[in-house]
Amino acid sequence: MDWNCTLTEERLSEHLEGSLSHGERAAFAGHIASCVRCRQLVANVGGLVNQIRQLAWIEEPPQLAPKILDATLGPRVSKRGWEWWVDRISVLWQPRFAMGVATAAASVVIIFHTAGLTPTKLKKADLSPSNIFRAANRQAHLTYARGAKFVNDLRVVYEIQSRLQPEASPAVNPIQKPAPQDQSEPTLRSPEQKSQTEPRPGRSQVRSGSMLAFVVTNMFTRSLT
Amino acid sequence: MEPDAQLVQQCVRGNGPAWEELVRRHTRRVFNLCYRFTGNPTEAEDLSQEVFLRIYRTLASYRSSQGAFPTWLTSVTRNLLVDHYRRTRRDRLTDSLEDAMPKLEEKHSAARTPDRLAQASELSAQLQRALARLSPELREAVILRDLQGLEYNEVQAVLQVPEGTVKSRINRGRIELARILDEIGVRPD
Repeated sequence: MDWNCTLTEERLSEHLEGSLSHGERAAFAGHIASCVRCRQLVANVGGLVNQIRQLAWIEEPPQLAPKILDATLGPRVSKRGWEWWVDRISVLWQPRFAMGVATAAASVVIIFHTAGLTPTKLKKADLSPSNIFRAANRQAHLTYARGAKFVNDLRVVYEIQSRLQPEASPAVNPIQKPAPQDQSEPTLRSPEQKSQTEPRPGRSQVRSGSMLAFVVTNMFTRSLT
Repeated sequence: MEPDAQLVQQCVRGNGPAWEELVRRHTRRVFNLCYRFTGNPTEAEDLSQEVFLRIYRTLASYRSSQGAFPTWLTSVTRNLLVDHYRRTRRDRLTDSLEDAMPKLEEKHSAARTPDRLAQASELSAQLQRALARLSPELREAVILRDLQGLEYNEVQAVLQVPEGTVKSRINRGRIELARILDEIGVRPD
């Protein structure tokens, strides 16, 4: 295809947009390879188009949109004083925000309680990780102990335990049953002796008893409600 | 349906917030078109207001089947710019366009640190000076295609001229713009 400088100028944008046919593209490339002036023109225009397409849009004056709205919808009443503040803090009344705040506050309270911290008597040393861990560990043990005591002190638990005790004892340790000849011995024994002859129920036994009692209490409470 | 078309429907039914949204979405487009065409930020601001007033009055006549809302908006803006150009032709013969042109980009570049932003801002100012020296036909064609990013068919819809004329104007506008920039010592990379 015969190509010249006039054609290069006329079809320059088509070359830049990539809309020349295969043959035209080859002829165009062949021409600019041999013509310095056209090569320079293509480079200049191509560079310019690339650069201006990358230019960001200029920001409009901030008062423009409000002016347009005032001119079309009429001047809007600007809120003043307490109305302005009410408008601003109305976001606080939204249920989602209130729930978020309540959850955050509850989390803080739980963390402080677990760590055994009192906000009014807070010291810098209380905030060190080791102290927080120690306090949290202590608090966890105390909570567990209080819970166990509470359950054990319930009347219903006591009654259940006392009913279970006679049946459970022989089954748990039949070997420890006192021998018949022991019956002749004096019934008064020192605490040490008592502990040797009648071993206290194991910790697991107490725990299982407590657990059982806890479950029964729960069921009882549920049936009441 | 496009979000703009939905907003237009709501506006026609008298929904104020929908109009507000429409204005906020397109103020920048209209302002940029006006600024690039006139080269004067104050004039561009006044013209942008005028455009939206006209749009507000004629919104019911917009049909989404005729084309996208931004194209219609650009078309209204361009018609108003042409009217404005004809109206102010006599004034411009006495005043030099370049003298009358406040340097919006220079104001921006002074406020920012000398980095790529400042370079882009400098190029934007030089481009504005070069655009002012283009004929209105070539200027609007280049602005619509390269600065507003419209497709050829959209430019054709806005300018209401045949496709061949659109292509020719864009091509000549680009070459002329590159020549003017070269003259004022700007050579794009």
